Amino acid sequence: MSDGARRRRREVTRTAYLFLAPGLALFVLFRVYPLLEGLRLSFTNARLGRPAVAFVGLDNYARLLADTRFHVSLVNTAFYTVASTIPILVLPLLLALALNRGALRTVLRSVFFFPFTLSVVTVGLAWLWLLDPVIGPFNYYLRTLGVPTRSWLADPQTAMWAIILTTVWWVTGYYLVVYLAGLQDVPRDLYEAAALDGAGGWRSFWAITLPLLRPVLLFVVVTHVIGSFQLFGQVFVLTGGGPGDATRTVVQHLFEAAFQNFFQFGAASAMAWVLFAVILVFSVVQFRLLRGHTEY
Amino acid sequence: MPRPARRDTARIALTAALLALAVIWLLPIVWVVVTSLKTTENIIRLPPEWIPWPATASHYGEVLLSSSRTARIGRAFANSLVIALGTVVLVLLTSAMAAYALARLRFPGRNVIFALFIGSLMVPNAVVLVPQYVLTQRLGWLSTYQGLIVPEAAATFAFGVFLLRQFFLTMPGELEDAARIDGANVWQVFTRIVLPLSQPVIAALAIFTFRAAWNDFLWPLIAVNKPEMFPLPVALALLRSAYSSESYGPIMAGAALSALPLLVVFIVANRRIVEGVRLSGLKG
Repeated sequence: MSDGARRRRREVTRTAYLFLAPGLALFVLFRVYPLLEGLRLSFTNARLGRPAVAFVGLDNYARLLADTRFHVSLVNTAFYTVASTIPILVLPLLLALALNRGALRTVLRSVFFFPFTLSVVTVGLAWLWLLDPVIGPFNYYLRTLGVPTRSWLADPQTAMWAIILTTVWWVTGYYLVVYLAGLQDVPRDLYEAAALDGAGGWRSFWAITLPLLRPVLLFVVVTHVIGSFQLFGQVFVLTGGGPGDATRTVVQHLFEAAFQNFFQFGAASAMAWVLFAVILVFSVVQFRLLRGHTEY
Repeated sequence: MPRPARRDTARIALTAALLALAVIWLLPIVWVVVTSLKTTENIIRLPPEWIPWPATASHYGEVLLSSSRTARIGRAFANSLVIALGTVVLVLLTSAMAAYALARLRFPGRNVIFALFIGSLMVPNAVVLVPQYVLTQRLGWLSTYQGLIVPEAAATFAFGVFLLRQFFLTMPGELEDAARIDGANVWQVFTRIVLPLSQPVIAALAIFTFRAAWNDFLWPLIAVNKPEMFPLPVALALLRSAYSSESYGPIMAGAALSALPLLVVFIVANRRIVEGVRLSGLKG
């Protein structure tokens, strides 16, 4: 290599890192460092304001094994994630299929998407009022229809389902738009060819649409699972984790350990890493299940 | 060729069902707005009334101006605007520059850095919550705008890089080459040619970031302990406890106000939003 070329390469490298510098600073300081620092804290007895922090090995993790409230939170969170996956995978897909070539596509897409622009608190407050057991319209109309009602959010049997309903209403529009985009990328001539071969709508859905949508399905499931395991806002507003611990979640448990009860940063960090591990396992399993050959 | 009558009927039935579902979908929002405009004694009346008559703006006045309650929605609204706009500016600046370097320049470390950015997309925000709090506290940034803007921007930065890099890679490079031959340096090419050509994707990222920052709840709940620095979601959540179940009117007025900015963005830039979601979905 000539001296000139080498100098030019060095200049390009310098320019590149100048362009990257602000982003890298942000990324390293507020993403990479907290991630590693959290891992370190999880092996310590760190607390807010505690001057001498000691290394305690796996103590925090061992204590989680005995923490029954943490187990309840983990089970609740996993239940919510699994139970909400089916409606969140299926409902937006059905809507997308119905809307894909329909006349009112743009308008209806906007209607279903609108709740997604709201904050979790706004959504929670709206549903808190709708589901009000005495004066809320939801129970009023159920009563007029003769359906037995209850205090949905205060009943341990139904509280988590009410949170799932709220969340489905909130995020369906987002996944609908994702699916619609995926459907647009399915080549039309495949359907025409299938129709010529005598395949009906149902057949071509299973043989063409679903296999071609596999990457989109994977995206939806992984995104939803990562989000679901961090369930917090809906519970904070709607139930506070109750009744009892029926809707208590991992992030709520972590939040209370770290910021309400004695500021146990070490213990909370251990919870965060257990949560991270669970999410990773779920994601890997889904990649395995849904990855496949999508080349056509 | 006339279409079979049965298929037409099926199509009409499907459209009718979709319309009905769409109406149901909007009811919770309608209910929030209707409630916020009702007088307090009409709010608790059964059967539910869907027309707020006589209408009143008093709940809006109360949450925006009244200082007797713990949460002042007017101030929180302003806080949220500062935080969301600040986050948008920081994310656009940092991720556009980084994405351009990754898309157009060859340099050692490029692949490693990009892989790190992509890998970080899998890290849940809840995992960095505690150490991020410790860091923010050490910097003296608790209950400050920068303490909300900078971590918020860091959470969206990698996604922004991914989105913009994809777009830059699909842009034809001829204009940039021509400008370089005319003597423009990399910075000039970036600011005068690449950025103007990237307006659609930059708008999509801006909206995505604004929405995330405007609506974030958990981080400000932890990082702010002065009421006058609360952003809207936190102020709203506390408004609820301030009123307990005594009255839904002011709470719904606050909820309706919180939806306003994104409603405006949504109406003005509907196509951009959909485009942004579409682009974000491609990462799967």
